Amino acid sequence: GFPLQVGLLLCSIEVNLKLSEQSSCKDCFLSFDLDTVFDVNSIVSEVLFAILREEVKYVHTDTDLLAMERSARGKTDIVLGYVRSLGTQDHRSLMETAYVYSSKHQFILITGGPVLKADDSSVSSRVWFLHCRAHGGSPASERCPSTRMRWSLSALKLHSFLQLMEAPLSEVYVDPASVPPPQFPHQLTPQVFLFSRPETELLDLASASALAWRLRGLALLLLVHRWSPAVKTSDEYNAAYRLQDEEEEEEEDEEEKEEGSFLFVLDDEVAADVFEKRASQPDTDSITQLTSGNFHAEIARSSLTVALFYLKWDAVSMEFLSSFIDVAERLVNDVQMSAVDCGEWTDLCGAQPGTPVPFRPIATFPSVLLLRPQQPAQRYRGMLGGEALHRFIMMSRTASPLLLSTQEEVTSFLQEADFLSLILFQIKPDAGGCFSPGSSVFAEAAKSLRGEVLSGLLSGEPAAKWYRLFTNSIFRVSSCKSQDFLLFLPARQRRTKCHRDLWTPELTVENLPSFLSLGKALLLLFVGEEDDEFGRRQSQALVEELRGVRTERYLTCWIHLGRTPAGMSVLGSYLGSMPPLPALVLTHLPTGDEIYQYPPSTPIVASSVLRWLQKVEDGTESPAGTLGDDSWPPAFQFYDFLKVMDMQEPDSTEQEAPTDDEEVDVEEHLVAEQLTDHHPDIGPKFHSEL
Amino acid sequence: MSRRKHACRSRCWARDGGWRKKVMEPNLACFVLFTLFGSVITSLADHNGTRHYTYCVLGAGPAGLQMGYFLSRARRDYIILERNSGPGGFFNKYPRHRKLISINKIHTGRQNREFNLRHDWNSLLSDRPDLLLRRVSGEFYPPADAFPLYLSAFAKELDLRVRYGVDIGRVRSVPSASGRSYVLTDQRASDYTCSVLLVATGLWVPQQVEFVGSDLVEGYESISTNPEDYRDQAVLILGKGNSAFETAQSVLGSASRVHMLSSSPVRLAWQTHYVGDLRAVNNELIDTYQLKSLDGLIEARLEKLVIAERREQGRWRGGRRRRSGGQKEERKLYVTLKKYLLNRSDGNDSAVAGEELPGHHIDNFSLRRPYDRVIRCLGFRFNFSIFDRSACPPNSENAKGRFPAVGPWYEGTNTPGLFVLGAASHSRDYRASAGGFIHGFRYTARAVHRVLERRYHGNPWPSTKVSTSQLLSWILKRIGEASGPYQMFEVLGDVILLRGAHCEYVEEFLLQALPHFSSLSGHEVSSHGLIVVAMQYGKKEIDSLGRDRAETDWTRAWESNFLHPVLYYYKTLPTEEEMKTRPQGWPLPRPEAIHHMVEDFLTEWDGPLSHIQPLRRFLEHCVNTDLRAFYAESCFRSALTHRKPPLFCQQGYLNRRGVPRSHRLREPVPSAGATAAAERGAAGTPGADSAFPHYLAPAGAAMSSGLKLDF
Repeated sequence: GFPLQVGLLLCSIEVNLKLSEQSSCKDCFLSFDLDTVFDVNSIVSEVLFAILREEVKYVHTDTDLLAMERSARGKTDIVLGYVRSLGTQDHRSLMETAYVYSSKHQFILITGGPVLKADDSSVSSRVWFLHCRAHGGSPASERCPSTRMRWSLSALKLHSFLQLMEAPLSEVYVDPASVPPPQFPHQLTPQVFLFSRPETELLDLASASALAWRLRGLALLLLVHRWSPAVKTSDEYNAAYRLQDEEEEEEEDEEEKEEGSFLFVLDDEVAADVFEKRASQPDTDSITQLTSGNFHAEIARSSLTVALFYLKWDAVSMEFLSSFIDVAERLVNDVQMSAVDCGEWTDLCGAQPGTPVPFRPIATFPSVLLLRPQQPAQRYRGMLGGEALHRFIMMSRTASPLLLSTQEEVTSFLQEADFLSLILFQIKPDAGGCFSPGSSVFAEAAKSLRGEVLSGLLSGEPAAKWYRLFTNSIFRVSSCKSQDFLLFLPARQRRTKCHRDLWTPELTVENLPSFLSLGKALLLLFVGEEDDEFGRRQSQALVEELRGVRTERYLTCWIHLGRTPAGMSVLGSYLGSMPPLPALVLTHLPTGDEIYQYPPSTPIVASSVLRWLQKVEDGTESPAGTLGDDSWPPAFQFYDFLKVMDMQEPDSTEQEAPTDDEEVDVEEHLVAEQLTDHHPDIGPKFHSEL
Repeated sequence: MSRRKHACRSRCWARDGGWRKKVMEPNLACFVLFTLFGSVITSLADHNGTRHYTYCVLGAGPAGLQMGYFLSRARRDYIILERNSGPGGFFNKYPRHRKLISINKIHTGRQNREFNLRHDWNSLLSDRPDLLLRRVSGEFYPPADAFPLYLSAFAKELDLRVRYGVDIGRVRSVPSASGRSYVLTDQRASDYTCSVLLVATGLWVPQQVEFVGSDLVEGYESISTNPEDYRDQAVLILGKGNSAFETAQSVLGSASRVHMLSSSPVRLAWQTHYVGDLRAVNNELIDTYQLKSLDGLIEARLEKLVIAERREQGRWRGGRRRRSGGQKEERKLYVTLKKYLLNRSDGNDSAVAGEELPGHHIDNFSLRRPYDRVIRCLGFRFNFSIFDRSACPPNSENAKGRFPAVGPWYEGTNTPGLFVLGAASHSRDYRASAGGFIHGFRYTARAVHRVLERRYHGNPWPSTKVSTSQLLSWILKRIGEASGPYQMFEVLGDVILLRGAHCEYVEEFLLQALPHFSSLSGHEVSSHGLIVVAMQYGKKEIDSLGRDRAETDWTRAWESNFLHPVLYYYKTLPTEEEMKTRPQGWPLPRPEAIHHMVEDFLTEWDGPLSHIQPLRRFLEHCVNTDLRAFYAESCFRSALTHRKPPLFCQQGYLNRRGVPRSHRLREPVPSAGATAAAERGAAGTPGADSAFPHYLAPAGAAMSSGLKLDF
C-alpha cells in the first residue's frame, strides 16, 4: 500500500522537475511536508497537480489574475479556485475537476493573499467562474463577469456547477408539467419557466436570456413557446417555477434514498436515457413503416431498402431508432429507410423459412437488414449508431465488386471511396482468356463484405498499369496464369495512418472489439490530451518508439485520453489512482489477471520497455493492479415476491400435505346439503325452502 | 361419486352390443341415412378390407379439424372421420337459439395477428392469416350457422383429409407390432386401423338427471325455439348454465313466469373468469328477477325433486295448446319433494294427490304454483358408448363424470395412444380455464400434436435459441402478444431453458405435464435451471367491480386480481409428487423464486419502471448475471478493466454491435468539442470521495446525457 504510493509520487515529481525546468511553481512542491504524504487526498491532488502543471496556473497577485483574464478574453472561460491549503479534500476535488475540464476552461488556483476579494472571509474554499469567453469584446469592465459557486466544494458539485454555467437557457415546446425535472447532478436546481408568445418571440428570448444570465448557477431557465399545442398552461400566466424536492438536498440523504428507491429508479443507462426522452417521440416521417401487407411492394419499389427491426419496449431498439431516423434524414432518395415494429408485425419478423420473405426469423433486436429486390437480405453487423450505419449504407450503395475498365471509372471510384478506410481490388491484367476460380471467390468475398469494404474489379488498360504500379503490395490469389491479384488499398486520407495502425493501433471505443478478439495481451500506452503541436509530436514520438516493441505475444497499442475519455477511468481502475501521463501498462495477460505498470520514472524507450517486459515474464516485477472479476452478478437485488408472500400469507405458498386430489365441488355440496334438509322455518328471503 | 362412475362406465360399448345401440339424434338419423346411401357406392370402390392410418381423428368439429391441420402440415398419414356430411354438425343444431356467445372481436386497434387471437374465440389456428371466422361473420356474437360454414372453408382451403358419412359405432384396441393400435368400425362394418386415435367427438349427449317424473321434462335438445309456443305459460327450467339462460331469455317475453332451478347458485362468468359460467350476454333473467318481474332463481338438488302431472278440469287458460281429443282438461306439472310422496305401488301413475304437494305442507313454498312446461338444460356429456372396454377411457372424477379422464397430455388413462381433444378434454381444466372451448382447445390440440411429433417421429418441440441478453425482450414480446398462454391461462405456459449465454425458448408447454418436460419435449434441462412464464388470475375472491379490484403498485403485483404474467424459476424440473402437492390454487409447485408482473388495465406489460425493470432483475437473479444494456463506452471500460465485460457487452459490443450514445440532432447542434467535453466530464467525475470507486455503475443512468438536454 503506502510505500508504493509514496514511491510513485516521488518518482512522478522527479520526472516533473526534470522535464519542466521553467516551472513557475517550485515553491509549491517544497511546501508539502511528509505529514500530508500519507493521505489519499494529498496524494491524488499532488499527483494531479504535477500532471496538470501546464493546465492549472498558480496566481499570487491580483495583477497576475488580471493579466490572465485579459489573455483569456474571447477565448476561454476561467475557473478560479481558492483552497485554504493544499493536499486537502477541497484541493483534490478541484484538481480532479481540472483534470476533466482543463481542455475546456482555464483553471487558476489561489491560496489566499491579495487576490481574494475583501468580502470573502477566507475561511472556506471557494470557486468562481469567470465568464471571459462570451464577454471578450465588452469594454465596460476590464474584468470578466464572475459567478461564485454557492455550494460547498466537492468534485460532484463542481461538475454540476460547471455544467450549469453552460446551460442557462433552453427552449421547450411542451407544457411545463411535462418537462422532466432536471437531471443528475442538477436535481436540486429549481426550474424557471417563461412563456413566450409568437408575437413577441424575439423580445421574450432577449429578456429570458438576460434573466438566465442573472440566475446562472441558481436556476435553470426554460423558455416555453406558447404556439405549441402541447402547452396547456392558461394564458394568464407568463412565468412558472418548480422547486425540487427538499429531501434530496443533502448528498448523504440522497445515498440513503437510493437504497430504498432503487426499486423505482431505472438502473440501466440505455433504458434511463430512452425513458428520459419519452416525452419527445422521434419524428418518423422520414422512414417507411413496413408491414406484413406492404412489405413486398415496398421492397420492390427501391433498389435498396434498409429495414430496422425493432421492439418498442427494448431500450436499445428505441435508442437506435432515433439514430436510424437521423441517418434517414441525411440520406438522399435512392435509399429507402424503413422500420418494422416487431411488436405489431410479429408474423413478418418471425416469418418461417419457406415463406416468401427474404430473411430468416429475426431473433435479435434491433436488427438491420439491407434488402434489394430479388436478393437475399444482407445483415448489417456494425455498431448500432448513426455514424457507422451511415457509412455502411453509403458503401453498400456501390455494387460490390464494381467493374472498372477505364481510367475514368477508376478515378471516380477512388474519389467516391475517399472517405473509406479500405478498398479491395482485384486486378485482371488480361481481361479475356482463362476462367479463374479466383474471380468467383473474389466476387463472393466482395459481396459479403459489401458495406464494410469497397471493392473494384479492374480489367483492361488500368489493370495493367496498376499491376506494374503495385507489384510489391499485391496478394496473389489465383494460380491461373498468375492473372488475378488482390490489392488492399487503404483510402487516401488514411493511407499513412492506416499503415501505422496495423502495427501500433490506437484503441478507440469503436475498434477495441476487433483487437480484443485477437486474444493477445495488451501493452497499452495512455497518452493525455496535448494542447499544442509540441505535445502532439511528443505523443507521436512515443507511439513511434513503441513500434520497436513489437512482439508476437503482445498487442502494442495506445489510447488517447482526449479522443477516448473513457480510457481515463480504465487507467484509474488499473492502478487505483491517476498516474502521470503518459503511462504504459501491460494487461490482459493470458497467464493471469495481473496488471503491470511500466515504471513512470523510466523514459519510454523500446529497449528498456523490452527489458521490463522480460522482467514481467520472469516474474520479478510486482503487479500494480489486477483485472476485475469476470462474473457480473446482478447489480441490484431482485424483488423477492416469494419472501413477501411467505411473510404476509404464510400458508398460501407452501406445498400441501399429500392427499387425495379428487376434485370435489365443495361449495356445491354444502349448498345442496343445506337446502335439502328440512327447515320449515327457513326465511323466505332465500327462496330456498326446498 | 362411485355410483355415478359405475353408471357412466356401463355406457361404454359392451362386447356383445352392436353399434346401433348408440344414441342417435332423431334428426341426424335421416342425415346419416342419406349419406349412407351416397357413400355405399364410394366405399364399394375402395372396400378393400381394413384401412390403415397412423392417425385417425374421430370427428370433424373444430378440434378434429384443428388437429387435422397440424397433421397435414407435418405431412402425416392421417384421416378425419366424420359421421355427418359436413364439418361441425353440432353447430347445425346448437346452440338452439342460434347465437354463439364466443366473441368475434374484429376491431382490436392492433394488427398483430397473434395478439388478435386473444380476442377471437372462434377461429382455428393456421398459417393462413385470413382464414378466420371474421370471413364469414362480422358480428361480435356470430350466428351459429356461420361456424359450420367457417369449418368447411377451413377444411377445404387447407385441403384436410376428411371422410364424411363414416359413423364409427365401435372402437376397440388390439395388440400390434408397435404395442397397440385402435380399430374403428363404421356403420358398414368397415374397419379403420390406427396407431394413434385422436378422439374429437365433442360433447353432445344431453346430460340427464334421474328423478321421479323426469320423463315429463322436455330437453333443451328438442324444445321449441318459437317464443310463441310459450305464450302465457309458466316455465320451469332445470339448470343455470348458459343453455338454461339462453332458453329463459328467448321465452322471457312470452312466458308468464320463468323459474330456474339447480343445486348451486348462479355463477357469473365475469366474476369467476370462467367462460363456461353464466355469460352476461345471457343474463337478462337476473335483471327481471331482481327488478321484481315474475321470474326467479331457486336452488335445490334435482335428485330430491318430483315432477308430477295433474289434470285440472274446467279451468280456462289463455294458451292455445290443447291436449289431444279437445278435452277441456289442462295438463299441469307440479313440483314436489320426494319425501312428501305417499307410498304408492303403481309407479306408472304420474298423477299426484293434493296432500303430496308441498303447498299442503308449507303454505309459502316457492314452487307451489304449477308449471306448463319443465325444461331440462343441463349441458352435455361425452359419448362413451362407442368404446369397447379395451379402449374405453374412464369417467372423469370432476364434472359429474361427463368427460373422459385423461392424463396431463390428454392421453386417456389406461389407453395409451388414444388422446382426447376438444370439448371432451375439458376434465384437465374444468371450471378453471378455457380447455373446453374453441379458443382454448385449439392450443391444446397444438400441444398434443407436438407431443405426438416428439413421441412418434422424434421431432423435439419447436424452440427458439435466444441469447440471454435478448431474453428480456423475448419474454416481453410473448407476454405482450401470445394468445395461447393468455387464453389457456394456468394451463399452457412458455418454458425457458437456461443454458448460460443463451436460452432455449419453448412455447406453450402443458404446465400439468411439467414433471415430464424432458421426455415429452425432447429438450434437456441444464444445471442452469428453467423459467416458466404463465398467465394467472388472482386467487382471492373479490368484488370484481369493487373499488379495490385493481393493483397498480408493482411491488404488490402478487396481489393482482386480473390476468397477469407470473414467472416461476426452478433449478430442476418439479417432480410429479411436488406437482400433486402444489400450493392450493397454484398451477405449479412452489418454485425457487417467483415473479408476478402487476396486472395492467390495457394488458400491455411494457412499462419501463413497473414491468420491465422488475422483470429484468428477476431474470438477473435466475441467471445470476447483470443483464443491463450498456453504451459502447461503458462496454469499452469494462472490457478493458475485466477479462470479460457484462453479458450485454459480450454479446453486443464485442461482436462489434456496440451502442454509441446517440446525439439527438436538435437545433442548435452542439459542437463536437462541447459534446466530447461533456462526455469526458461524465466519465471522469464519478466518485467524489474515494479515488475511482465504481467505474461502471455510475457511468450509466445518473451521469447520462440528461446534461445535454438543455443545449
